[in-house]
Parts: sequence; structure tokens; C-alpha cells
Amino acid sequence: MSVLTSLAQLEAAAAGIAQPLATVRHCHLADHPLVMVPLKLAGEAAAPLAVMIGSDPAAPALLAVPQPRNRDLRFAFAAELAQVVLKHIETHHGAVEDLPPAKDGTERIRYTDAPQLLVPNRGGVGFLRMLGRSTRFRRTDGPYAVEPSVPVLGRWLTWYTDRHDHPGSALLMTMTEALRLHWATGQSSLEDGNLAALLGWIAPPGGMDGPAAAARAEDPVLSPPAGPVTDPGFDNEVLAPAIAAFDASGRDPRAEERVRRVLEGQLAPTWELMWRAVEVLRALPEGASVPARWERDRDSFTYFHQTFGEAYPQARRDSPVRAAKRLHDMERAQDAYDAQRAFDDPLVMAEHRLNGLAFGGTVTECDPTRLDESGKRPKLRPHLRVGTEDPVRLDPGTEVCSAARPGLKGRVVSVDGASVLLELTGGLGRKLTPEPGSVPGVGARVVFTSLIPGSFGPSRFPDKENTPWTHGGPPADYEPTDEDAAEDWS
Amino acid sequence: MTDTAPALDLDRLRGATPPRNHDARTIAALTANPGCARRGVMDAAGVDKDAVSRTLGFPAPFGQSQFAITRGNVFEAQVKADGCAELLTLLRDRLGLAVPEVSYDDLEVVAGNEGRELRHARTRRLLRRALDSGEGTLYDHPLLRLEIAGQVAYLEPDVIAFQIEGRFHIVEIKSFAVIDGQAEPSQVAAAARQAAVYVLALRRLVAELGHPAERVSHEVILVCPENFSNRPTVTPVDVRPQLAVLERQLARLTRVDRIVAELPEDLSFDLAGALDEAVRAVEARYAPECMSSCEMAFFCRDEARACGATGALGRSVRDDLGGVDSIGTALALADGTLEPAADLAETAAQLRTAARLRAEALQSAGQGTAPDGAGLGSVA
Amino acid sequence: MSTPDAPSPDAPGAASPDVLEARITELRAAVRRAMAAGDRQAARVHRAELRAAEQAWDDAVLGDGPAAPDTAPDADHDEPSASVRAPNRPSAAPRGLVPVREQVHQALTLIGAPAAPKLIGSVYATFFPGQIPGTRLTSLRRDEERSFRTAPYARPYYLGAALTADLLAPARGLLTVSTWPLERRIVGPLSARTDFLAAAVRVAEHAARREQAPDVQRLLWRFAANIPGAAAGAVGTVEPRALIEAAQAELDVHEETDRRQRRRAAGRARAQLDDAGRLFGARLRAMRSAASTTDGDHR
Repeated sequence: MSVLTSLAQLEAAAAGIAQPLATVRHCHLADHPLVMVPLKLAGEAAAPLAVMIGSDPAAPALLAVPQPRNRDLRFAFAAELAQVVLKHIETHHGAVEDLPPAKDGTERIRYTDAPQLLVPNRGGVGFLRMLGRSTRFRRTDGPYAVEPSVPVLGRWLTWYTDRHDHPGSALLMTMTEALRLHWATGQSSLEDGNLAALLGWIAPPGGMDGPAAAARAEDPVLSPPAGPVTDPGFDNEVLAPAIAAFDASGRDPRAEERVRRVLEGQLAPTWELMWRAVEVLRALPEGASVPARWERDRDSFTYFHQTFGEAYPQARRDSPVRAAKRLHDMERAQDAYDAQRAFDDPLVMAEHRLNGLAFGGTVTECDPTRLDESGKRPKLRPHLRVGTEDPVRLDPGTEVCSAARPGLKGRVVSVDGASVLLELTGGLGRKLTPEPGSVPGVGARVVFTSLIPGSFGPSRFPDKENTPWTHGGPPADYEPTDEDAAEDWS
Repeated sequence: MTDTAPALDLDRLRGATPPRNHDARTIAALTANPGCARRGVMDAAGVDKDAVSRTLGFPAPFGQSQFAITRGNVFEAQVKADGCAELLTLLRDRLGLAVPEVSYDDLEVVAGNEGRELRHARTRRLLRRALDSGEGTLYDHPLLRLEIAGQVAYLEPDVIAFQIEGRFHIVEIKSFAVIDGQAEPSQVAAAARQAAVYVLALRRLVAELGHPAERVSHEVILVCPENFSNRPTVTPVDVRPQLAVLERQLARLTRVDRIVAELPEDLSFDLAGALDEAVRAVEARYAPECMSSCEMAFFCRDEARACGATGALGRSVRDDLGGVDSIGTALALADGTLEPAADLAETAAQLRTAARLRAEALQSAGQGTAPDGAGLGSVA
Repeated sequence: MSTPDAPSPDAPGAASPDVLEARITELRAAVRRAMAAGDRQAARVHRAELRAAEQAWDDAVLGDGPAAPDTAPDADHDEPSASVRAPNRPSAAPRGLVPVREQVHQALTLIGAPAAPKLIGSVYATFFPGQIPGTRLTSLRRDEERSFRTAPYARPYYLGAALTADLLAPARGLLTVSTWPLERRIVGPLSARTDFLAAAVRVAEHAARREQAPDVQRLLWRFAANIPGAAAGAVGTVEPRALIEAAQAELDVHEETDRRQRRRAAGRARAQLDDAGRLFGARLRAMRSAASTTDGDHR
């Protein structure tokens, strides 16, 4: 959070409608995302109750467990869910495109698309993580056999939820987080966690303002929660009698139908909200670096898909080297993601200007042909003075680049109260006179920043065999055990 | 209990309604927002905030799903079944409990009578003997007492007091799962806060019985289902931080008499009286975190929003604004229509810069900045 | 949504499914609002209306089918909304052949020690035909006491409570047989464990004489998993002899102290309680005097 975001919240509260925090869309949105609205049984770690799922707003599938405490019914649900999810994965990764081979000569390919999953909130991701954890070790033969698709689903869900932790990844997104990236509301982050309330501030239903829509969203009778936890009142007064009737009827299909209908009633409103939110996000123009990030997502998907057959289910816990590498990768991705968004979006760059790590203003003096002749050979080092009201906090010598054209690089020479003197060092062409148009002229509006896209370099980690003793030494190779496969799910 | 003036004042504040019984949950919740005078006074006086908020038209949505309740009861019954067979196995395997240590006393009912005085007397009696002799292992459902702002609250802990090598531990059975060694942090934190209340109450009792309070360990033992099974597993949790917070907060509560002294003489939270007015007479300090712990939260939020308090947007917003607690004031400082006092000059300058930068960025992106040009307007 | 567009032609004259559906939605909301506002009375009224509307909807849309839940087999079950019940076991034996008290008596006789309804139920289901209906057990002890007080010793045995050693009051949730010696029907601090171990021995002995069916193994595992050294083999499989030896070994540790405590309490019970008191536990008055005179005596 920052003063800029806080100010947007104040404006939203005063205006009664959400205010933008972004001018472009910072996440990829698939043409046909797979929307999932999962519900679980209260008090249980991973007892699925129902999910509304599909990639066509007009044709959701409803999968439900009429008695969520029954293990067989749970696995039947997992098998049904697997069918939908795996089919979507196999039909939404596009064609294989060949890439130039890697340095060591290995072939490289990438799918032209990747299947995208959307869930309402972080709880939804947590539930998919638990569902993945509870299904990926299952055996498809022997005493506790499950459908072959069930452990496959578990591995995919685990992969998607891991990938969700990766900053800037759009493979599995939560709608509340995606919306909060782009809008500030006049309520707190706690209330923003309610999808209906959040969307109520951004795109209130006809005749309402943000606060009215949000108030309506907080009434669980009018507006069922977006899950995965259901409203206790619904549980006690509607769901429990329906499940009890199903039990008492000896699994009468009519009683099952009643359970399904009450669950459908809880899910349908969130389903509508999810697709309305998709529309709202789609209306924003896509940020310039979004395709590049989606390409990384496709790389990751391609690798997992290609190696699926030869790999084991993901281990219960990462080995030390893997955990350290993962943390490092995430920090790098976070850094790159933050920088990219700032270059894509003046409203995000404004945060950095407010913090003094970027500044914007009008060029007041310009010496485009200035040469630095102190070395053996003269170098083209134009001077630029930028008049700015921004609270600049950059020391002389700091490297900066242009927000509009990151190739244009320079160095801070001096900062006084109202202007910054820059020496330009790159992005001017190869000659001793700058390429036409490369140096902003007097009167031009410019923004420079000390953010450098991708400045956080990769680090080297030891191979697994060389795990230092401080981290327990080389770990044993992970292989799923019988115990993993036979684990209770009760 | 003392018949001092403050206690009488607190009784008067409560009006005709009997004092609400505290349990570990409500006592643990006292530590959540220590800066709130309204909450402090109402809690100290034992006001039934649930009834008050309902009467005011802002009922607290703290219902519990029967599925969760059933799950909790079933798991607890299972762990305690057959003379705590599963629990003994865990304590033997994980804490090295010796085989002869199997004694179990159920303190929940005394001869078919659930009276609190009687049950507490029995708890005292059996624990005194356990402390004196070092014998005795499991004491189920001890009934403890804790003084809250001069009033004795009985605690109905759904826990077992467990003695090993002359030290007592609180054993708390919870039905949230520990998966691959990890549990939901918020649930562990809530369990630790509650367990700290029991540790404190048990320590007070031990001290009353003439033994050092340290004979009650600060390490509580959580028993939870492991992974997706019903198999129990043990997690020791150090509750020293929670204990420190709790003791500080309880000490503070005894000082609410100072706040009470400044309140109008005839103030009363009687449900039949001018309740709205009475509640508003004591200042609240609403923050969104209140929603998870205080029955008054919806009322206070409404009040905070109605007067445009920045705190309703979250603590971080209030902090970002350097103490400006009105939305209107903050916006006026931002657009320059209000000249800041000296102590707000820095905040005001930052707000003005922020406002300029926002406007500039939105303009350069081709969007209007007028309030009604924001959002997406109405979607039919 | 699969809402029918038109009322089904064979609907019994009354409201159409659409109207009923709207009514059901309305009533559900009304119940939840009433509960949220703490108005239990109104909630109860709406709940009854809701059940009626649901029934009407079932009849109108789904036609006549198998019995509705309210007329489900178990006649004295709780209201469906009050609890989540486990799925019916298809193996449930025809009811009424053996009275519940007789079933409990058989199981308790096999176990040979004070036991909780849950253990009684599993032992019965494992070794006897059929099951003990769980809901009947809750009222059993009260019925037995009433019967005894009306006509003492009219029956060959009664199912009574276990008595706590310190207060001679009924112990929660433990059943005993009146014909057992008083020492066995009294429980001291160690008795929960010794009775569990003793039951393990008895059940394993019984099992050793029978085929090791999966349900027998499951019952034995419940004991073996919680007795040191009893589960030497693979997870989930129990050798009855190993279980008996392990249980006996731990029993040897506790038995003497436990027996002493029980015997002493039994002496007090004989001196202080009348026949009914000895079978069903001391009443509060007796307890008070017991509490004041016997402090420190039960160990």
C-alpha cells in the first residue's frame, strides 16, 4: 500500500464508486478461461461439496457430492472433476511451435497457448491445493484403487496452485486479486475479499452505487459467499436437512437432486459474478509486457505437460535446494513483474515517482551533441535538464532510463529543488551525433526512473547432490510410498 | 470479588441484563483491539454485546456451521474414547509419558450436577492433591476461574490438564487438520490465544494452592487430525507471547474505571433504554480487524463510515495518512482547498503530490478524473 | 436451472412448481433471517412451512416415490436438521427380534467391564447379528432406573451406570450390568485404562475362537493401535494372542492399585447407598456428604 493507493481509496469512498489503480490490464486473460467456483464442507480440510465449472458462461457444469463425508462419493466427485479439468487442459494448449535450439543443442518447443484457470478468491486456490494434495498420491490399483484420472488431476491442481505463487503468472488467477490490482474501492481489503462486494464497487448493478451494492453483497441470504466456505446459516437451515434427507432416503435420486439444487443456488450467483468480472477486466487494454509474461507461463506449462509421463507426483515437501531456488525465482519474478507494470502503466509509475525513484516533467535545457572527451576516445553524452515538481530521491551517479523508451539510458548528474540534470549514456545510436528523435527536445514531457527491467540477475544453486550439510545434505530421491497412496481421506 | 465503587459502576452500566459469562474465546478476544474504549468498558461490565448489537440492528454474524461443530465433537470424542486411549498413545510416543501414568479424572459433571461452584471446588480439590503428591495424569474439563475487571469469570475449557514430571500442560483438542506438518496459521493462532487464557487461569489456581505458577507449562499441546485422516497428531505450541499480551490486557481492563469515571452518571447499556445513545457515548476505535473478533463491529463500522473515518478503510490507510482520520479532511488537503496545520504539513504535501501524479497519469492514459467518470458506471 | 416452464399436468391441483419454488426460496430466506436475528420461535414456524412446501414440490415435480425422509424407517430419530447422519448401512438386520437391552447385555457380558455406548455398539456389530440402534442407547439407562424403582428386582438383570470411586455418582457415558460385583461397576482414576485393557483381552480371546473377518480385525486394531507392543505385525493386522499378551502386560502395571481403589470405594458404597443407589449412582444429597467426608480418600 502507499499514499497513492490510499488516496484512490479515499476518492472511491467519497465518490461511491471504485477508482482506477491501473490504466491497462496487467494480466493475461484467455479467450476461454476455465472458471471454477468450488465449495467445501465446513470444518473439513478438503471435503469437496460442489463446484460450478466451465468455459462457457451460458453452460456451467455442476458437480456435487450429496454426502460429503462419504469417501467413495468424494472420489467419484474427484473423477468427474478430473474429466472436466483434464479435457479442458488437453483442448486449450494450442499447437506446438518449434523454437531455436538451446545453447547446448537441446530441442525447444512451446505450446502456442495454455489453459487458464480462474477462481473467485485465495480460499479457492487453497482448496484446490488441498484437493491436489489429497488426490495426487492415490493408487489406481490395489485395495484403495481410484479412477486413473484422479491422481492425474491431483498433480495438475498441485502444479497450478504452485504456479499461482509465482508473481505475474496468469495460469491460475483469483478474481478478487485480479480486480484489486486494477481498482481501489471505498472499503477495506477485508471487505474487498468478498467478490460480490468488490465487484459491486467496480461495476454496481443498475440503480445502485458502490456502498449499496456492497451492503447487498454482505447479506448471505441475498448474495451467497463465493466459497469455498459456505454460509453457516445455509449449512444449518438448507444444506444439512437436504443431506440428511438424502441419507434417510437410502440415496434416492430425488433427494440427491434436491442437494444439487440447493448447492446450485449457492453457486450460480458467484458464477455470474465471475463472468461479469471477466468482462470488466477484458474492457481494459492489455499491458505491453503481458504477452511476455504469458510466454513464460506457456514455457512452464509446456515443460510440465511434456514431462508429465516421466515424473513422479510432486513431493510433500520441497528439498532444501529446490526450496531455495524456488524462493529466489519468486523474488526475481516479483522484481521483474513490479518493474514491468511500472513501464506499462503511468499510474503504476506514479507510485515510483511519489517514492522518489522516478521523476517526470518537462525538458527545460538540452545539449544533444555534448561529447565527453575525458577518455581516449570522445563519447556522445548529451545533457538534459528536466524541470520537475516530483520529490526526487536519486543520488548523483544513479543510472536511470526513460519510462516511455527504456532503451534510452542516462545517469543523474545533479538534483536541485526543481530540476534534475541528466547525462544520457545509451539508446542514442552508434555515432557521435544522436539518431534523430532519440534525445527529447526542450518542452518535451518525459519520465525517467531508476527501475531497470530485469535488473535482478539469476543466481547459481548447488545441484541436489551437493546440498550443503547445513541444509541436511543431499536428500534421498523422492519416491511416493505405499503409505502416501493409502492415506485416509476421511 | 470486591465491592468497590468501580464494580458497582460497571453493574450499573449493564442495566437490568445479567452479566455475560466469559469463555476463553471472549477473553482472548479482549486482546484484539486494546485501544478501543467502547469495547473495554462493555467487556469489563460484562455487557452482552451480542444482544446489544442485535438490538441496535447490527447483529454479529458469528454463526457456526453444524458441520464444523459435528466434526469437532466427533474428533474430540474419538481422541478421548476408551479412557483417552488415542491420547495416551500420542503422549507416550511423543512426550515420553511413562506407562504407569494413565490416571484420568473427569471433572465435567459432579454427581450429575453441572453447577459451577461445585465443579470448581472439585477441580481445586483434585488439582491440590495432584500438585501435592505429583500423582495424577489427565484431568478432563477442569472448571477454572479468572478475574476480569473485578468480576470472576468461570472458564469452561474444553481441554485436558495434563501432568507429566510434576508439570501441568494444557491439552487442547482441535479438529483443524495438520497437513504435512503445517496447519492454517490463523487457526493455530486462535487456538494459541485461547490456550493462553487457560494457562493463565490454571497458573492463578496453582498459585492460590501455594505452588509456583511455573508448574503450569507455557507449552500447550495441540491435538489435531493429521493430513486428511482422523488420526490425531500432537503439536507443542509455545504460548508465552500470547500470555504476555493477555496479562497486559487484563491489567489494563482493571483500569477502565478511569474511563468509566468520565462517562455520564446515568449511562446504561440496558437493552430497554436509549441504547444507541449510550453506546455512542463511549468512543470506539474501529478497524476492519474488529470484524473477526467483536460483536459490535458492524455497528462501529457503520458509525465510522457515516462520519467518514479513514480507519474504516484499514489500518494501512490510516497509517499512510499520517494520522488524518477524516476522509473529507484528507481529500481537502490533497486538492489544496484546506491549509494544513504545521504538524500535518508533510502529510499534506505528500497527498498533494499524490493527487497531482494520479491526475497526470490518468490524463496521459486518456481517462477522465472526475468521480463520475471513474469505475465503469452502471452495468445493467 | 431445470425449472419446469409449465406446471406439470399431474400436479395435485394446488400450487404450480414455479410458485412452490418461489415459496421455498422465500421460506428458506425467512428461516435464515429469523435465526440470524435470534428469533427461534419464528424460525421454527417458518421451518415447518418450509418442510411442507418442499414436500409439495417433491410431489408436484417428482411424483410419488419412496417414503419421504420424515417417514423414514427409524421412527424415533432426531429431526433431520438436527444432525448429519451417517449413510444407512444396507446390512442393518431386521429390528425387534432382540430387545435393545438384551443386545447391550450380550455385548457388555462379552466385554466384561464398564463400557461406553460406542464400544458396546462396535462389539455387538462385530460379533452378533445386526446392530444396536444408537439412538436407543441414550435413553436406556433412564428406562432401566425407572423400571427398577417401580418394581425392584423384577428383572433378572438391569443395565446400570458405572459409579465414580470418589463420589459414588454415576460416571458419564459408562454402562454396566447389575449382576456384576460392585467392585467391577465402580471406576477409579485408573479404571478407564484397566477396563480398556481388560476389554481388549476379553475381545481378543473371543476373536481368537473365530474366523479373522475384516470387521473383527478392525475392532482388534482399535485396541492394538493404542496398547504398546500389541501391533507388531503389518499396519492394520492384529494377531489376537499378541494383543492379549500386550494388554495383559500393561494391565499388570495398573491392576493392583486400581483394584485396591475400587474395593475401598465399594466398601463405602455398601455402607452409604441403598440398592437403587448402588445400581444407578448416588443422588446429589448423598454426594454432598460423600464429598465432605471422603476428601482425599479415593487414591
